[in-house]
Parts: sequence; structure tokens; C-alpha cells
Amino acid sequence: MFIRLLMESFRRQRRRKLLAGLAILLGTTAVTAMLALATTIGDHIHNELAAYGANIIVYPAADQLEVKVGGVDIKPVSGGAYLHESDLAKLRGIFWANNITGVSPELPVRIIGKTATDENVDAAATGLWFDHSLSNGGGALKTGASAMHPWWKLTGAWPREQATSSDSAEAVAGMTLASRLNLKAGDIIQTAAHDSIAARTLRITGIVSTGDNTDDQLLLPLNAAQQIAGTPNAVRRVEVSARTKPEDTFARKDPDTLSPAQREIWYCRPYANSIAYQIREAIPGARAEQVRRVEQSEGTVLKRISGLMWLISAAALLAAGFAVSAAMATAILERQAEIGLMRSLGASKTTVALLFYAEAGLLAIFAGGLGYLAGSGLAAWLGARIFASQGPASLGSLLIPVLFPVVITLALIVAIAGSTPAIRSALNTDPSAILRANA
Amino acid sequence: MRGLSMSSILRRSLVHRRARSLSALIALTVSAAVATALLTLYADLDSKLHREFRSFGANIVVTPAESGKSLPSDAFTQVRSAAGGDAQAAEFGYAVATTDRGTPVVVAGTDFDAVQKLNSWWQVDSWPSTSDANAALLGQRAAQFVADEHNVQLTFAGHTVTLHGAGRLRTGGDEDSRIYLPMSAFTTWTGAQPSVIEVQIPGGASQVEAAIARLHQAVPDLKVDPVRQLVEGESRIVDKTHALMYGAVLLIALTVAVSVLATLSASVLERRRDFALMKALGGTQSSLLTLFLLEALILALGGVAVGYVLGSAAAWGIGQINFHTASWPRIGVLPLVLLLNLVIATLASLLPVRVLRSLEPAALLKGE
Repeated sequence: MFIRLLMESFRRQRRRKLLAGLAILLGTTAVTAMLALATTIGDHIHNELAAYGANIIVYPAADQLEVKVGGVDIKPVSGGAYLHESDLAKLRGIFWANNITGVSPELPVRIIGKTATDENVDAAATGLWFDHSLSNGGGALKTGASAMHPWWKLTGAWPREQATSSDSAEAVAGMTLASRLNLKAGDIIQTAAHDSIAARTLRITGIVSTGDNTDDQLLLPLNAAQQIAGTPNAVRRVEVSARTKPEDTFARKDPDTLSPAQREIWYCRPYANSIAYQIREAIPGARAEQVRRVEQSEGTVLKRISGLMWLISAAALLAAGFAVSAAMATAILERQAEIGLMRSLGASKTTVALLFYAEAGLLAIFAGGLGYLAGSGLAAWLGARIFASQGPASLGSLLIPVLFPVVITLALIVAIAGSTPAIRSALNTDPSAILRANA
Repeated sequence: MRGLSMSSILRRSLVHRRARSLSALIALTVSAAVATALLTLYADLDSKLHREFRSFGANIVVTPAESGKSLPSDAFTQVRSAAGGDAQAAEFGYAVATTDRGTPVVVAGTDFDAVQKLNSWWQVDSWPSTSDANAALLGQRAAQFVADEHNVQLTFAGHTVTLHGAGRLRTGGDEDSRIYLPMSAFTTWTGAQPSVIEVQIPGGASQVEAAIARLHQAVPDLKVDPVRQLVEGESRIVDKTHALMYGAVLLIALTVAVSVLATLSASVLERRRDFALMKALGGTQSSLLTLFLLEALILALGGVAVGYVLGSAAAWGIGQINFHTASWPRIGVLPLVLLLNLVIATLASLLPVRVLRSLEPAALLKGE
């Protein structure tokens, strides 16, 4: 009987159910979309903030003091300490390896030689990865300097590390250097032989504008720079871009002073400090530091933007809650006559209340489920529209499963809470009064 | 006579069905409050976000046209006045000195107060007091090449100076390898003048470009460069957050509007019996419609009045919690909120009219 009442109510009162269902559907859509955006905003903003460059820097612990003003090395260190390029693959094996989104090793060298027009070249150069796949047995991370410096503007092509051979390599020239030497893509620079290093041909594949002192340099693949400098496997410093959790008081603690349990927690949170700590552990002889200008400011910006999204989600939740409970209350107030009739035919208050709650619950689950799907789709669409997404969105990244129970529970709570005052007032009214008023 | 009876019907209809009027009023208040809060926040968003980006520090660098030269002595004052009142600026002079252990180190003269405001990301144990003319900040890498951090002996071109290290400086950048000291001590010791002015212009790419144009006019002989990654990154992120917020505002406003619309039109439909009765007593279609419309509009106005206050308070709260600066109520959003609520109310009373018109008063009153 109960089930039949329930079924019939849905079958016969389509308009009323439609209105309440529509309110729940729209409410859950908005709430799901906002929550989905709020949970994924961190990744989106991190990708945008990558424009500021690396947030962790790794250099040899035994390094000498850099004498740099305005990015120009005044007294270039000869010799000095190096990291091993081969050790960098270990970055893929640390606890937060998946949070490392970019790795860019550097090796400064000096290029002395002549252009094809017999002009003397004496320029600073940096060996870099451009499109390197870094892998530690597992999946490879495609990374390099060009991806980590999105503000570098290139005309031409980045040099390829595969093109490096024992007597030639590719390179790009900074804008200032290129205009001084009249270089353009396709030109060559013949480097002079020195010590035991053979002469080689550098083929310019493009001109790059960076907006800083790199404009006065040549950029070449790391393997070519190592050969020219005569230091195989050597890397002077490494820029690392990692997805981090904004720093809080706990993050600033020194892990070695923490209790083992606290240390474990500290270690397993993606703070810039803990990732730097893990990098120090993984690479022998390395020092890793957060780049505070980037990391601290990114933390602030990220906190503000995601805080804004969460607060707006809360506002959306509140507004949707009000709207849905108002719609539910209206739907029940309209059916006072029905309640009066059922009561006068002998239904107990509990049965009637249960019937109405069951209706509200069913409605909340159906409309809430649809709203979850619609909201997830909307969030994915908005996210892709606003933040140019990387590659096609898969179904897995589109739906956030954790949100489903959350949204359904919220819909249930709101629908039931919204109907409660209306059900109670209808049940407390004398059935005969209701029926007479409607007669 | 007619107007009088209309207003008394209106009053009675609102007062007597108190529960129903109240729920409609709440619905309209919620829609007005949400619209007010979101629009107020939205109007303030760009300036608030740009304020956050100040923590990235300088976005313009002023240097002499030829490297190796120093800036003219009045450059800093001119740059300051051209940059505008809310810009931060600090000047730096650089020289390479030798520590007591014989290691070359970059020493930088600057004004610590200005740097503290400009470079909020610097992690410093304690900022040197302004009274100490020989106070110094030691970069954490530079500190390892100094024998006594509290009594730093540095030599530049045969002149030795003793500095009191106030603390270490940690940045993870080039600053780590430098020693900073007050500009006056720097110039008397090395004889070098400031060579770099770092300026921070609050705002996006267009403000920075305008400031660069002003600086070019004020100091035509100097090189004025934007810090490209900061300017580009900031504009991109502010634009995207702006777009996101725009989407969120539309989505929420739409949801609330449709839900409120559904609730209101349901409550109009519910009053079919009133409608039938009035029609049977001789009310015309248009006078009844006017009645419903007026009722809804009165509720909508009440909703705007209460909702504007609530929404402004919510926006203020969100601004305080999230950005630590208040979003003051904006009178400019009021017309929009009013328009939104009036449209919802009008639609809510007009949508069910088709249903009402087709009703036969006699049949309805008879109970069919």
C-alpha cells in the first residue's frame, strides 16, 4: 500500500514533482559545479603559476659563493662543484614525485669561436634540457627549460639534444646576442678548439627573447654544453617546479626536531620544504631550497583564490538550500487536502510523514544524481574554457567520485529539512478543518 | 473607489496569508542577497587580486642605459614621483668585496625599510634597526663564508669595513649569496652609487605599461624594463579568476532565480480558487493580473531591501575572511539586483496566467 501510494504520487502529480525536482536539480548542479571547481582550482592555478618559474632550486652543497649581479656572473666559477645529470632521474622516485611537474638542469659554459661571417664570438651560454624525457623506470616526465619558462618567446625551433654529435650541435641565440652578431636561424658558429676539446659547429635553430640577461646568451642542449665544457654528466644547478601545499606554521618546522610521528606527517605533506628535503635525501651532495619569491607568493595567491572559491561554494550551498527547501515547502503546502484526507481515512501521523519524507528522499536522490552529473559536466566545461586544459579530459578527471555522496547527502538533508516545517504544520492541523476549508 | 479596494485587497492578501507571503519574501530575499554579495565581490575582485600579487615584489627594473655605470643622484626621487603614490620602490647598489676568509662576495647597499615593504618574501631572522648605520643582513650562503657573523670584516679596494650582522636572509635566490648593508654605509665605504631601482606597480599589464611610459618620460636616459614573467603571469591569473568568478556568478544567480521562480509560480497556481472566486464576483482578467503582479512586486521590493543589506554584509565578511580587506557595499549593484528581482517576480506572476485563464470559475469552485 505504502509503495503504491508513493508510486501513484509520482505518476499523478507530475507538475508538482517537476517543480520541486527542478529546484533540487538546479541546486545540486550549482553546488556540484562550484565544489568541483573549488577542488580542482589548485591544480589549475598551479599550472598558471608555473609562468613564474621554478619554486625549488637544487645546487651542489659544496658549491662556491656565486658572484652574480643582475643575473650576470661577474667572476664565473671555474671548476667548482657539480651535480650529476644521471642523479636527476631519482627525482622521479621520491615520495612526492608525481607533484614534480618540471625539472630543468643548467650548465653554464663559455662559447669562443667565429661566425660564418668571420665575426668573433665570445658569449656566455647555458646548457639546458628542452624536450627531455626524465624517467626512472616508470612513466617518463616530458620536461625542459622551454616549458618552465613560458614567457620565453622563440622564433624558430628549440635545439634538439639528439642532434648533438661529436662535431656539431644545435643552439638558439638570445635576441641581444643575435642582433649584435647578426645571427639568424640557419647560421652557424664555429667554436674554437681548446685544451683537449675538439672544435665543433653550432647551428642556430632560432632566436629567443627572454626579457632578462639570457637575451645575451646562447642556449644549447645540455649534452652539447657538457661536451664543450669537458665535464660529462655535470650540472651546475637544477630548477624544479613542484605542485605544493601553501606553507603554514607546521611546514616551517625543522623535521629533525620533530617527534617521529610528527616528522612522518611533515614528510608526507607536499610542502615545498618537505619536497626540498626529499630531494636532498635522493640526490647525494645536493642542497635544495624553495625559491621564496615564487613559492611564498604563489602560496598567498593560491590560498586567496581557492579560499574565494570555497566561500562562493558555501554561498551557493546556502542559496541552493534555501531555494530547495522553499520549493519543497510549497509542494507540501499545496497538498494539505491530501494529508487531511489520508488522516481522516485512518492513516497515522507517522505513516503520512513517512510517505512525504520518502517522496522527498526519492526526489532528492534522482534529481540530486542528475544534478551531480550536470554539475560535473558544467565544471569540466567551465574549467576547460577558462584554463586551457592539457589534452582531452577523460571521464575519470571529469567526475569527482568523492563529491557524489556529499552532494546526494546535502540534497537529502535540504529536501527533508525543507519539507519538515510544512509536514509538521499540515499534520498538526485538524484534518476536518483542512477538508472543510477545501470543500 | 477602485484604487482603494485594490490596495485593501492587496494588504489583506499579504497579511492574511502570512506564511505564504513570508516564504515568498524569503525566497526573493535570498535571490537579492546572493546577487548583491556576488556582484559586490565581483566588482572588487580585480583590485583585491592585484593586491595579493604585490607579494611577488618588483615588476619594473630601472637600470642605467650602459651597464657598469651608476644612476644619477636624483634618479630615485624622479622614479618615485613618476611611479605614483601607491607604488613601492627600492634602490640597490652592488659591489664585489672580499670576506675575511678571502672569498669574493657581492655586497649590496639598500634601504632596509623600503626592501622590507617591497620584498615581503624575504625570510629574515630580524631586520636590522635603522639606527645602526653598519648593520648588515647576510644571505644564508654568504654567511658560510664569513668567520664571525656578528662582526663581519669586508674589504673593497683596500678599504676595510666592519659590519654588525643582524641576522640571516633566506630567499632561495641570488640574494642568498649576498651581504646587504645600508646605502649610506655602502657609498661611504665603496664610493659606488646605486645602480638598480626596483619598482613595484600595483595592477595588471596595462597599469605596468602606463607606468613604464611615465618612467620613460621622467628618466629618459635610463633603461626601464618590465619583469616579464611577473607582468604576464599576473594578468593571466587575474583574467582567469575573473572569468571563473563570472561563470560562478551566472550559475548561482541562474539557479537561485529559477528555484525562486518555481516556488513563486507554484504559490500563484495554488491560488486558483481565489482567482476563480474573484472572477465569479466580477473581477476582470486584467485587474486580477494587476493584483498578482503588484503583490509580487511588493514582495520583490521588500526582498531587495533586506537582501541588499544581507548580501553586502556577506560580501564584507567574505572579503574580510579571505582577503583581509573589506568589500564595502556598492550602491552600483543595487539597480542590477533590483532588476533581477523584479524580473523574477514579474515572470513568476505572469507564467501561470495561461493556466489561470483557461480555468472555468464555476467548475473550479464546484471542486472539479
